[in-house]
This record gives sequence, C-alpha cells and structure tokens, in this order.
Amino acid sequence: MSQGRTLTFNIFRYDPQEPGDKPKMVKYQIEEAPGMTVFIALNMLREKQDPSLQFDFVCRAGICGSCAMVINGFPTLACRTLTSKYPKAEITLMPLPGFELIGDLSVNTGKFMRELAERLKLWLHPKADEVDIHRIEAPMAPEEAAKLYELERCVECGVCVSACATKQMRDTFVGAVGMMKIARFELDSRDTRSVEDFYHVIGNQDGVFGCMTLLGCQDNCPKDLPHMQQIAYLRRKMATALV
Amino acid sequence: MNVKSLQSHHTHYASLGSPWSAKADKVQSITGILLGCFLLAHLHFESSILLGKKAFYHVVQFLEGGMFSSTGHGFPMVTKLFSIFILIVVMLHALVALRRFPAQLGQWRALRRHMSGINHKDSHAWFWQLVTGFILFFLAPVHIFTMITNPEIGPHLSAERVYHANAWLLYALLLPAVVIHAMIGLYRVAVKWGLTANRAGLRKVAKVLIVYLISIGLLSLISYILIGRELSLPITPFVP
Ligand code: HEM
Ligand code: SF4
Ligand code: FES
Repeated sequence: MSQGRTLTFNIFRYDPQEPGDKPKMVKYQIEEAPGMTVFIALNMLREKQDPSLQFDFVCRAGICGSCAMVINGFPTLACRTLTSKYPKAEITLMPLPGFELIGDLSVNTGKFMRELAERLKLWLHPKADEVDIHRIEAPMAPEEAAKLYELERCVECGVCVSACATKQMRDTFVGAVGMMKIARFELDSRDTRSVEDFYHVIGNQDGVFGCMTLLGCQDNCPKDLPHMQQIAYLRRKMATALV
Repeated sequence: MNVKSLQSHHTHYASLGSPWSAKADKVQSITGILLGCFLLAHLHFESSILLGKKAFYHVVQFLEGGMFSSTGHGFPMVTKLFSIFILIVVMLHALVALRRFPAQLGQWRALRRHMSGINHKDSHAWFWQLVTGFILFFLAPVHIFTMITNPEIGPHLSAERVYHANAWLLYALLLPAVVIHAMIGLYRVAVKWGLTANRAGLRKVAKVLIVYLISIGLLSLISYILIGRELSLPITPFVP
C-alpha cells in the first residue's frame, strides 16, 4: 500500500551553537520504502540530502531510548514509528520539549536523567549488613522480582517528561520517570528507605502532590509503563504517610 | 566503596515534604467530590420544574423540611444554612485549587505551547477544567450569596428571580461552566487516586453526564423563563 508514496517531512532545524541561527521548519521529500520507520527515513535524509541534520539513535530497536522526538504531535520513539502510519504522507518532527536542545531533533535527556537520579537518590539503599561481596545475595521472591522488573523497563527516553504539561509549567517537578523509579525502590524489599524518607523526596508540590493527573505520561510512554496506577499508588501511600 | 560510606548515603534528606502537601491534596479531592455530588443532586431537584409547578413545589417543601412545619411550607432558613455550608466548601476548594493555577505568565505560556505542540486529550480536558474553575471563582459565589440573602424558593419565587430579576443570565453562564468543571473533576479524582482501572469507560460517563446535565439545566431554565413571563408583579407564591 505504502510503496511508491512520496513522504513530506517538516523538520525543526536550529543549531544553538551556530551564531545567528534562528529556529525554522524545513521541508524534505523522500520516497517511502516498505517497512520504513521515521528513524530510517531520517538516516536516508541525512545520507542523501542534508548531512547537517542532527538527531540521536543507538539501538534502532526501542531499547536505548535515545531517538525520542515529537512526531505529528505525539512524543515517541522514531525507531518504532512506521511511516505507513500516516495516510497523508506528511510527517512533522519536533525535538522533545522540556530538555536542553543540542541541535535540530537532538536533546540532552542524559543530563536531565542524571540530575534527576542524583536529586531523588535513585539507587538501591541496602541494609548495611547486606553489603558483603563475599556472601551470596539473599534470594528475592519471584513475584517481587517480576513487579520490580516491570518498573525497570523504563528506557529513559524522556517522552513522559515532554508529554506532561505539569512538568512544562513547573520545571522542578520530578515527572513520571522520577516517580516510576521512586516507586520501584519503594517496592524493593532490599531498600531500607521508609515511607517517611520517600515522603521527604516526593511528598510535595514538586513530587506526587504536584501531579495534576493529566496522564500524558500514561498515554505516550513507549514502554507502556503503568504510570497512572503507579502514581495513584504513590499518592495513596504518601497521603497516609505522615498522619 | 566500604560499608560505612554506603551507609552514610541514606536517610539524610532535607525536609522537603510538608504534611500540608498531602492535606491540601486530600482537601482538594474531598471538597471536589462533595461539590460534584451536590451538583448532581441540585440540578435534578431544580429540574423537577420540568414535571410541573406542583412537582417542584413538593421537592422544595420536602427539602426545606416541610414535614416539620405546621404550615407544610418548610423553612427557607434551611436553604440559607445549607448555602452557607456550600459557600464554605467552595471557599476551601478554591483555596487549595489556587495551587494549580498557572500563576505566572511563563507558566501560562508553557501550558499553551504544550497544548499546541502535543496532541493529548486529557491535557485539553484539564485546560477546560482550569478555565471553568476560573469562571466559577467569580460566578459561583454570586449565586450562593443570593441564596443566602434571599433563600425563598418556589415555582413562582424562583421564576421571578430568573425572569424579572434577570438571574437567567447568571445561570446561563454558570450552568455549562460548573457542569464541565465538576464532571471532568470527578473523572480526575477517580483516576488520580486510582479508584478505577476503567478509564475509558469513566471518560464516556463524564461526557454523557455533561451533555445530559446541561440539557436538563437549560430546559428547566427555559421553563422558569416561560413561567416568569406569565407572572405579573408583585407575584404571589405558588400554592398547590
Ligand atoms: C462550585 C462548584 C465546584 C465543583 C462542583 C467543583 C468540583 C471539582 C472537582 C470534583 C475537582 C477534582 C478535584 C481533584 O482533582 O482532586 C475539582 C478540581 C479543581 N477545581 Fe473545582 N469545583 C467547583 C468550584 C471551583 C471553583 C470556584 C474553582 C476556582 C478557584 C475551582 C477550581 C478547581 C481547579 C483549578 C481544580 C483542578 C485541581 C487539580 O487539577 O488538581 N473549582 N473541582
Ligand atoms: S517512563 Fe516511559 S516515557 Fe518515561 S522515560 Fe521511561 S520509557 Fe520513556
Ligand atoms: S534508537 Fe534506541 S530506542 Fe530508538
């Protein structure tokens, strides 16, 4: 069906490094190929038409999370988006809002994720006597491991941050990815942090009580993580933490 | 890294979380649910005029405690006291809702930019909740104050207020604003606290209720206007 179509790409172009450069939309046209993804099209554009086009990718398989961008109004992964999804053969690409722009479609999600991890202390805080590399780790119940694994699937693509109007209005808001990771450690029996400890991290307007339940995270996360459930869980947990 | 240094990492947090954050969020939802449920009942009672003057008269005298009064007409004082209660709930609700308003121009711009760049239904629904909430901030107290100062309700008394005192204008603006705000709000309370997993179903219910409530509200408003036009001043209260 899609063979032989000519796709029109409207791509945001801006290089902050270049003095005098202004943000603009640039039109490109390309022949569609069977099974083409937005990511494949971008590579062809860069190879054949414009070597200066900036965008990120590593895995091409929805695993690394580096190729996220806004495609026709929906933030998502370019490597997992088929061009055949768009019957009008028009595709508009914007960089993810809410992140530092590196250039064109490339944004610095890495910096954001690192700062978030440091701020929320997103690593395991084990019991002191369990940190002994000469001993075999205590086994974890398979149900608990499965639960944690479900939340560990986040690829840090930044889509949930861009899809959240609350986050865009309130820069210091931790966003869905932060809460997802907090929930992951809250559920982990090896972590020594108490509910009160977590309350002091996300029990405020920058955390779970700042969430206005717009659910952009839930509706756009390319890994289909259960944001709605998870944030509601944290909200209930935190709402009863200090009473 | 040794055990000591790992240990020193945990449980030393700045006291960022205030118990007030949790309280405000609970107050927001509880007052919202109270007001939303009250609205559902209120619009039905008020729309009983669609079943005739007699039906409305009986609803009013029942709600005003007619069975405890010697005349059977009930006490407008009940309406007055209940209105004061609702006013307090609205004030509490508005107070905690202020946290959510994009207070700075930059926040408003960020919201508008986000809405134009990202296609997302629930964010748009929230935007309308915000706009209608802002409208209610001004309109709801006007209506409630009137019911505190002039609590007399009845087929003729209410029709006089609507038609001769021009309250129809207030009601025509208040009705869509409060219905949209409250129904999206009830939907949001349910998803916010995880009261349901069936989000799509709930969204449909909210949409149907919005159309339904605005319809019965508008129809009854028209009834009051029609009744009001028939009345000559000064009016005599309706007695069945
Ligand atoms: C008088 C009738 C009103 C009803 C029935 C009503 C109902 C509701 C409900 C059910 C919610 C959801 C609560 C939650 O998210 O926890 C809500 C939220 C909200 N209300 Fe109202 N409300 C009313 C009046 C007002 C007024 C006068 C204002 C203006 C200050 C207002 C502003 C808001 C805002 C901004 C929210 C959003 C809060 C959020 O996103 O978390 N409401 N309302
Ligand atoms: S939670 Fe989902 S949308 Fe957010 S960063 Fe992780 S994978 Fe991306
Ligand atoms: S390139 Fe790795 S997720 Fe798309």
